[in-house]
Amino acid sequence: MEEMLREYLPILVFLAIAVGLGLVLILAAVVLAVRNPDPEKVSAYECGFNAFDDARMKFDVRFYLVSILFIIFDLEIAMLFPWAVAFKDISMVGFWSMMVFLAVLTAGFAYEWKKGALEWE
Amino acid sequence: MISADLNIILPEILLSVFAMVALLGAVYTEKDKLAPTLVWITAAVMAAMALWIGTSGSGTNEAFGGMFIDDGFARFAKVTILISAAAVLVMSQEYMQRRGILRFEYPMLIALAAVGMMMMVSAGDLMALYMGLELQSLSLYVVASLRRDSVKSTEAGLKYFVLGALSSGLLLYGASLTYGYAGTTLFSGIVQTATEGHLSLGMLFGLVFLASGLAFKVSAVPFHMWTPDVYEGAPTPITAFFATAPKMAAMALFARLMHDAFGQAVGDWSQVIALLSLLSMFLGAVAAIGQTNIKRLMAYSSIAHMGYALMGLAAGSALGVQALLIYMAIYVTMNVGTFAFILSMERDGAPVTDISGLHMLSKREPAKALAMLVLLFSLAGVPPLVGFFGKLYVLRAAYEAGLAWLAVAGVVASVIGAFYYLRIVFYMYFGEERDDAVEMRSSPVLYGLLMASAIIMVAGVVNLFGIEGAAAAAAATLVN
Amino acid sequence: MESIILFAPLVGALIAGFGWRLTGIRGAQWITTGLLFLACAFSWIVFFTHGPETQHIQILRWIESGTLSTDWSIRLDRLTSIMLVVVTSVSSLVHLYSFGYMAHDDNFREGEESYKPRFFAYLSFFTFAMLMLVTADNLVQMFFGWEGVGVASYLLIGFYYRKPSANAAAIKAFVVNRVGDFGFALGIFGLFFLTDSIKFDDVFAAAPALAETQLTFLWTDWNAANLLAFLLFVGAMGKSAQFILHTWLPDAMEGPTPVSALIHAATMVTAGVFLVCRMSPLMEYAPQATAFITFLGASTAFFAATVGLVQNDIKRVIAYSTCSQLGYMFVAAGVGVYSVAMFHLFTHAFFKAMLFLGAGSVIHGMHHEQDMRNYGGLRKKLPYTFWAMMIGTLAITGVGIPLTTFGFAGFLSKDAVIESAFAGTNGGFAFWALVVAALFTSFYSWRLMFLTFYGKPRGNKHTHEHAHESPNVMLIPLGVLALGAIFSGMLWYNSFFGKEDTVRAWFGMEAVAHQDKGHGDDHAKADDHGDDHAKADDHGDAHTNEEHHGEGDSHAAEHSDPAHAAVAAAHHGEAPAGAIFMHPDNHVLHDAHYVPKWVKISPFVAMVLGFVVAYWFYIVNPKLPARLAENQRPLYLFLLNKWYVDEIYDFLFVQPSKALGRFLWKRGDGDVIDGSINGVAMGIIPFFTRLAGRFQSGYIFSYAFAMVIGIAVLITWMSITGGAQ
Repeated sequence: MEEMLREYLPILVFLAIAVGLGLVLILAAVVLAVRNPDPEKVSAYECGFNAFDDARMKFDVRFYLVSILFIIFDLEIAMLFPWAVAFKDISMVGFWSMMVFLAVLTAGFAYEWKKGALEWE
Repeated sequence: MISADLNIILPEILLSVFAMVALLGAVYTEKDKLAPTLVWITAAVMAAMALWIGTSGSGTNEAFGGMFIDDGFARFAKVTILISAAAVLVMSQEYMQRRGILRFEYPMLIALAAVGMMMMVSAGDLMALYMGLELQSLSLYVVASLRRDSVKSTEAGLKYFVLGALSSGLLLYGASLTYGYAGTTLFSGIVQTATEGHLSLGMLFGLVFLASGLAFKVSAVPFHMWTPDVYEGAPTPITAFFATAPKMAAMALFARLMHDAFGQAVGDWSQVIALLSLLSMFLGAVAAIGQTNIKRLMAYSSIAHMGYALMGLAAGSALGVQALLIYMAIYVTMNVGTFAFILSMERDGAPVTDISGLHMLSKREPAKALAMLVLLFSLAGVPPLVGFFGKLYVLRAAYEAGLAWLAVAGVVASVIGAFYYLRIVFYMYFGEERDDAVEMRSSPVLYGLLMASAIIMVAGVVNLFGIEGAAAAAAATLVN
Repeated sequence: MESIILFAPLVGALIAGFGWRLTGIRGAQWITTGLLFLACAFSWIVFFTHGPETQHIQILRWIESGTLSTDWSIRLDRLTSIMLVVVTSVSSLVHLYSFGYMAHDDNFREGEESYKPRFFAYLSFFTFAMLMLVTADNLVQMFFGWEGVGVASYLLIGFYYRKPSANAAAIKAFVVNRVGDFGFALGIFGLFFLTDSIKFDDVFAAAPALAETQLTFLWTDWNAANLLAFLLFVGAMGKSAQFILHTWLPDAMEGPTPVSALIHAATMVTAGVFLVCRMSPLMEYAPQATAFITFLGASTAFFAATVGLVQNDIKRVIAYSTCSQLGYMFVAAGVGVYSVAMFHLFTHAFFKAMLFLGAGSVIHGMHHEQDMRNYGGLRKKLPYTFWAMMIGTLAITGVGIPLTTFGFAGFLSKDAVIESAFAGTNGGFAFWALVVAALFTSFYSWRLMFLTFYGKPRGNKHTHEHAHESPNVMLIPLGVLALGAIFSGMLWYNSFFGKEDTVRAWFGMEAVAHQDKGHGDDHAKADDHGDDHAKADDHGDAHTNEEHHGEGDSHAAEHSDPAHAAVAAAHHGEAPAGAIFMHPDNHVLHDAHYVPKWVKISPFVAMVLGFVVAYWFYIVNPKLPARLAENQRPLYLFLLNKWYVDEIYDFLFVQPSKALGRFLWKRGDGDVIDGSINGVAMGIIPFFTRLAGRFQSGYIFSYAFAMVIGIAVLITWMSITGGAQ
């Protein structure tokens, strides 16, 4: 039990830092920031929608398209990070695996570009 | 080492590379104008690959530390998958083109789905399983809603996607439970955790969730609800595809998972599968009676057929797996023919799916009506057609495994199910003359596939074209 | 040659049945008839050239199943050759006769329906099946022929398929025969069970052993030989229309008359007699069974004769006469003189076929009128037919010179039967029944003659005016058969009913040494018989020179081998030699020659008495019969209604069967089976279909809900069952 808890200690430390940092930033804004509010400024930015409105409204499907495309590359970054960190320890197989992965993603990217998915209109 | 691994998964790599290259090639050149050509090329590539896999492979080869298994069982399933996918592609080309929904992505999606299915049947690890499954499923979600301006088609795609996500969730939950209790995701590792032929309770839970996720893919009751809606909503060629290759892949994966990962606890999962089988057979038979849309009817038909295939799996023996493979191969063949028939049903150029249009078809199209009659009889399992032998095998397997009650129930269900197949025959031969009669489009491809399928149903009674031996060899590699 | 005899009718049947469109109607008729005459000629050649020895001619290997190993082969011996001659002769003549008789038929639309090739094909098929039966070398082969003739009989009785009565008669014949066949089949099963073989040779060899075997059947122990002999005889009863199973034969007269002549007089109905004679090695060891055969045969002879007295349909009279004569044959077989049974079978075939064909000629001439009350005075109109019928009547009533062997065929063979019956039963019931039956036979035969050919024309004037003699093609067969009816008895008397040694030699049996038991006087008489035979021989020679060969062979047969030694050998597993078998201790044949003189004369007296009464009733005083029937009304009705046997069967079997059938149909099939299936198919299944449809709501949440419920159920179930350990 002791052992396991000790293993989870770094996580606890991270959690503490994250909470602490968040608090510090919010509090800093409260303390330091210049406040000059107007209605547009205080409304939350939600992709151009009103924050408080009927949820059953039509909105453009293109938002989803962009967000999904974003998520794909977001995940790509998430994969790349640990790969890059451990880069010097992994073999050529590891390197080429990532290259193949990137190539596949690139193919997809090339397709969506050519298909016009990235253009708003 | 790595090159040996790559060599084993070479077919999958080649097919996916082909798909990506063709996708990029098409999108940068002619786009949809290339689609018909691409359909044929993809079909040819898949057929060639089926030939290659069928003739070259031998023995059991494992790649990536057992995550990927290439054995006789996988090869049997892959050949069936590739051939049926190629057949469906070929069937759909003209139909989709005339209705303006043939896009160049379509063959690529089918190809990628095929890669996913090949991955599934070769999976030796829960992660490989999931990867293959999702690659297949994602492709299918997209093709289900291929006709973007049709409400039904998009509804079908959406329903399939949402419920598919739910089932993936169940599957993943089961996988995590299994991993948690077994400490490994490798099938060969999981199988060793059973003690004295029984699983721990946690493993049982994992097993049930995994089975549920797969039951969704094979559309076994009670995870079948998406099937009629998706079959009806999706464009007919897509329905044809749904009814064939993915069923084979999911069923093979089911068998692979149960035997490779839980093979030591046959008694534990056999009853689950038997229950699914029983429910599927009866619901498929009973619910189809109320259908007037032939695509919905085929959906329930496929539910019932999956019930029979699961009966082979529930037997938990090599004979059972052999029966399952034979059954699936026959089922896929019958469905290709039947959908070739459905695809040629139209009135004033628009597709028709209402079975009342088939009244007195024998007068207008004797050859096609006769072929359809053979196929329907075969689907119903009337001797001496090949469909009967498929049922005979699974019934025998179930009986010899001590599941006599299930075999009896299967016979009863098949009697009930015969009603709606025979009703179509009745309409075609003894119906009344009506003015909403369908016209049968004469397309050489559809005609050829319909006739070939019907002839196989008749000529196959001689020795089932030897698949019996092939299936026995394949089953032997899975169950030992 | 034997194979040609056997298969020529089959070839003919196939050609006529399936190929008549190629050969034409005429062609089909000629081909079948021609092939039959070929078979007939060969049969006579075989009859005269084949000696008493037994020959096996293998045709093909047939059944190989476990210990059951059987060839399809012809067993050619004296018995077979006699039957070959009878079957092919009558059949070929009937084929020829049918040219005329079937030329026009009101039951079929002329020119539209070609019934003739069908008729000839059936006839030929019947002949093939009958030959199959008589040439059989094992019981299953015999059963095949047995059933084949049954089918042919069914088809031919029901030939006029538009007549409900014909169809009913066909079904009745078939069903009643099934009863007998069931016994026959049981007998075959029993023989195979006990002897592990169905070949005649093996079965015969095992007969002495069977006599000492006990067999449990129907919760009782029986003597195997008696039981099996009885079961086989049950089959014979059905086929040969013996009392209890006789009811189908009179009804079978619904068939065309040539059919009646061929099947229901000369050949098929004698198959039972043939079976008993064929199985004689077994019968000899089954005393109770043969006693029963004797008793039943005598009863049938008496019963059928009484019924024949009052029938008015010309064909039915002859049908009951056939039934009665078959009883005579069974009595002979029952008392152990199989040769005499065969003798009567042989002669009866000729005169009975002739009587039927003659009756057919009358019917043909009278435009298908069959009621004798509407005949009368036809002697002038149908002179040839009259003479043929007269010869037939003389033969069947047994006209001849008493105490000699000079007489019509029936005289010799019937007297032989009656003498044997006396010797075999020591003057018991069988003898008296047969004598009385002989009287009745004479009465009804003469009654038929007087009613038909004498007196004044009765009935429809128009019919009588147009009555005409039949064409030659019908008269020639009558003539040929008349020769047989006159001479066949005298010619072969010695072979069938001569001295015991002669008979034994002729049938290929080992000779037996006889101690004289003080028959001194009668011995001389027996020698006289021999002399008379010689005379008869010459007599026959003069008339039927082409038929007379090979008689000498049989006379020259060896006498030396003691039959007792053969019996001893049989105990060691060898079949006794010869076509039939008479146990060395069976002296009936010998004793029959030494019965008192009054016994020998009794049938003649009975015949004369019958004739006188008939003459008085129908010529001298034609009012008398009606008055007698009035006075003795119950008796008359009893006889007219055939002892009410049909009515009893109707009450005992037919009505209960129909009631049971109705119950199973209405209640069992209609209510229970149809009811439950309809209930399931039209009530329960649609209910579930609607239910399934309701669940398929189209809402994604209900689908997901179903999945969650499903998984919950599975988890719960697995927790309870799987997690228990």
